[in-house]
Amino acid sequence: MRKNIFVLALIALLVLGLILTGCTTNSTDTSSEENEAEGSDTIKIGWIGSLTGDQAVWGTCELNTVKMLIEEVNEKGGWLGKQVEVIGYDTRGDAMEAVNAVRRLTSQDKVVAIVGPNASGQAIAISSVLEEMKVSNIATVATNPKVTIDEKGNTKPFNFRVCFIDPYQGAVAAGYAYDVLGFEKAAVLYDVADDYSQGLTEFFEKYFIEKGGEIVAKEGFKFGDVDFRPQLSKIKEANPEVVFMPYFFKEVALSANQARELGIDAVLMGGDGWPSDILLEMAADAVEGSYFVNHLDFDDPEVQDFKATYTAKYNLPVELNGYLAYDAIKLLEKAILNAGSSDSVAIRDALETAKVQGITGQINISKETHNPEGKEAAIIKIIDGKYVFQQKYSAK
Amino acid sequence: MATFLQQVINGLSIGSVYALMAVGYSLVYSIMNFSNFAHGGVIMIGAYLGFFAMTLIELPFIIAFALAAVGAAMVAVVLERVAYRPLRNRNAPFLYFIISAMGASIFLENIVIATIGPNFRTYPRVFSATPYTIGSISIGRLDLTMFWVSAFSLAVLIFIIEKTKTGMAIRATAYSGRASVLMGVNTDRIIFIVFGLGGLLAGIAGVLFGMKYTVYPQIGFITMKSFIAAVFGGLGSLPGAVIGSVLLGTIETLTAGYISSQYRDLISFVLLILILIFRPRGLMGKVTEDKA
Amino acid sequence: MDWFYVKGILILSGINLLAVLGLSLLTGFTGLFSFGHAGFMAIGAYVTASMSIKFGLPFIPSLMIGAMGAALVSLFIGRWTLNLKGDYFCIATLGFGEAIRLILDNVQYFGGARGWPGIPLYTNLTNVLILNIIGVVILVNLIRSRHGRNMKAIREEELASQIIGINVFKYKMTSLAISAAYAGVAGGLLAHYTGFIQPKMFQLIKSTELTIIVIFGGLGSISGSIIGAIVLTSLPEILRAFAKWRLVIYGMAVIFIMITRPQGLMGGYEITYGNIKKLVSRIFSIFNTKKTLGGDKQ
Repeated sequence: MRKNIFVLALIALLVLGLILTGCTTNSTDTSSEENEAEGSDTIKIGWIGSLTGDQAVWGTCELNTVKMLIEEVNEKGGWLGKQVEVIGYDTRGDAMEAVNAVRRLTSQDKVVAIVGPNASGQAIAISSVLEEMKVSNIATVATNPKVTIDEKGNTKPFNFRVCFIDPYQGAVAAGYAYDVLGFEKAAVLYDVADDYSQGLTEFFEKYFIEKGGEIVAKEGFKFGDVDFRPQLSKIKEANPEVVFMPYFFKEVALSANQARELGIDAVLMGGDGWPSDILLEMAADAVEGSYFVNHLDFDDPEVQDFKATYTAKYNLPVELNGYLAYDAIKLLEKAILNAGSSDSVAIRDALETAKVQGITGQINISKETHNPEGKEAAIIKIIDGKYVFQQKYSAK
Repeated sequence: MATFLQQVINGLSIGSVYALMAVGYSLVYSIMNFSNFAHGGVIMIGAYLGFFAMTLIELPFIIAFALAAVGAAMVAVVLERVAYRPLRNRNAPFLYFIISAMGASIFLENIVIATIGPNFRTYPRVFSATPYTIGSISIGRLDLTMFWVSAFSLAVLIFIIEKTKTGMAIRATAYSGRASVLMGVNTDRIIFIVFGLGGLLAGIAGVLFGMKYTVYPQIGFITMKSFIAAVFGGLGSLPGAVIGSVLLGTIETLTAGYISSQYRDLISFVLLILILIFRPRGLMGKVTEDKA
Repeated sequence: MDWFYVKGILILSGINLLAVLGLSLLTGFTGLFSFGHAGFMAIGAYVTASMSIKFGLPFIPSLMIGAMGAALVSLFIGRWTLNLKGDYFCIATLGFGEAIRLILDNVQYFGGARGWPGIPLYTNLTNVLILNIIGVVILVNLIRSRHGRNMKAIREEELASQIIGINVFKYKMTSLAISAAYAGVAGGLLAHYTGFIQPKMFQLIKSTELTIIVIFGGLGSISGSIIGAIVLTSLPEILRAFAKWRLVIYGMAVIFIMITRPQGLMGGYEITYGNIKKLVSRIFSIFNTKKTLGGDKQ
């Protein structure tokens, strides 16, 4: 019996030894392969995000957009005279999978930069791998401030993003509700299990109260819930002037319908999780007259062009992520062209000062925060079942 | 007071949704003694069938409804053939059934994502969105319909089980599989019927859900709640499943309304544990042989 | 395959393996089925991370405290739920796992649903391997001891073991606490590997995956669990090129394994020196008989 345990431990040690020797031989291979990659005539870029799981709608739209844009780029002769190849991996919305996918992209596939993922959790989890492999990431809709800034307040060298962050969006929503619309009593319904929703709620609450408003009710639900009437009944009792709903359009549609059913006639307000054709299909009447914070004005001709090409190609509506993935690719293109090289560190340096006119607005990456600075939010109102642009609004 | 009544009505309507699913679970549990985690997947298929029948083929609502129910029943039966029967033939322990069911549910969800796509789809509107109102209390039309459809299908199911010969065979098999075989009951046929009935209910639930909550590949996740409801009521008991569902719906609603909506699920979980401590087989669960 | 990538998979396999070893004791050797182990991993992860960040403890002591935290919570949960049978225990653990996640989602001290970034990166292949070896040795010793035999007796025939004087409840508790401690260590390693934890990482699907690994490897076989953890952690990576079809194949594979080989990969057998010797001698004996048969023909 004792012998067997000894043997087991021995086997384990042998495996360890094997792996360690494997390490040394393999690492020399890597360096030679890297040299090859330098001289090759394609530029590889990576994408990660959810193709399966509950966020698959958003991830699929991102990857479709990225593929479509890169096809266009290749038709026009590619970047720096090289063809561009996209390698996209599914993460199921799981941070661990994102780490694995990025490890594979940076080491085996040797991409020069990564676009995505579509959630803050994954974007934060991958930063140590990015730093180790010196490859930059441009997050599409990761809105948590911690994506580009670490705990000590230093900027993470390889994390960038093209969207605005939670505090900004919360401030815009609170400012617009209080200053422009003149509401003083707000209720919040939010998803307790969702980082995006929690972030927006926190900052909306903070700024709304700072301005002198009052939060009369704050109710939570949990991702996967489809019935919000218990919470809404409570909100109704508190009688707010505006209900802030910082979550995604499916839940927005359900909760808006249920709110109207219960006789809540307050104005509804939301964030960039709202815009989608599904919202209007499901709840056009309920969300009539509501406002939300958006990245862009949908009637912009450039936006219309992109939307038309996308819908023609995939026969699917464009989700918000598509626009941001579009801008991430535009930003990356600019950086690669500015750097004049497909070396991942040179791309990073170029990204730090990149300026590009995207479809969600002018994107000027700030060297200090790696966020797009001074990006103005667009306020959209739903009138007659259409998204109508109101004004550009930036919170101070 | 008005708010309280409204909350009770909210609770009942959520409960009736749970009940439709919980009964399907309980029915299978009563015969096979395992929790069919793939039930949510079957509900999802039913929702998609109903949706495509109404939009692509443009069938009238009632026919699409029936088609979805029959289609879901077929999926459930095929699932039993493929994923459970080989296990049953080997007398595998319940664990293997559960894992197989989980594999099936992963498969169903992802095959839909891969083929149909992950997008949300909305049913054409059949019922008007304006609710019935009594004083300051409002009841949605679709909720009321769901309540009646659930009640009606449960009544039919209970009639089949209590009054027909097949129903008697189902009850006998549930009571003791081995003895009922000796009495000439064809177990394979009974299991086929049970999965078929469960599938029909899943299809009905799927269409109702799809209408109320849109159709998407993860719609089956709501069944987790109905599983808890079935445990509340006692696994394997149909009246238990109904009572457990209504209770869970009401408890959840009142917790969210009067204690804390953030911690609602935590409180329902603690209640579940409390019930199980004092009544380990749920409110009306069937007594299983004490052999772990 | 690039080493950097393979190393990532190996570290993750190792982390999964630790959790699986614990679950293997509970499910494979004591016959209890849990859907809440992701919850224990979450406790381990958050406790370990707070020890090393907020109290500045070194890695190993933090891990140990994380394991103890998970074990303590499991004792509390077990006290109330271990008397439940089969599916009822299952649903209780499932509810527990979800409840833990819900609490963590709401505790802003740990970052709530938005997660907790900036955890120092201590986990590497060496310490994962060493911890795994220690974990396997402890488990093998435990299973071969009197206590392990009692646990197996409970798995086989609970009523009978009660009658011959085994304290069924006590052994179930021990088994649950040890398995929770393993899961806690795995969670702690995970936290210090990604440097970021979020309640979302410990969903029900994580518990399910662990259980699938245990069953895939074969109930009651530690070598099976080891092979299962490595194979099933790498499988999604190998299938990565299939993109959205990946999980379709995974789901089919799970059903296929259940219906074709329900006893799992190892089916309760272990890879030990003795068994290998037996196997080799059996192969040789076949070889020998063939030889003699051939001789007859001549």
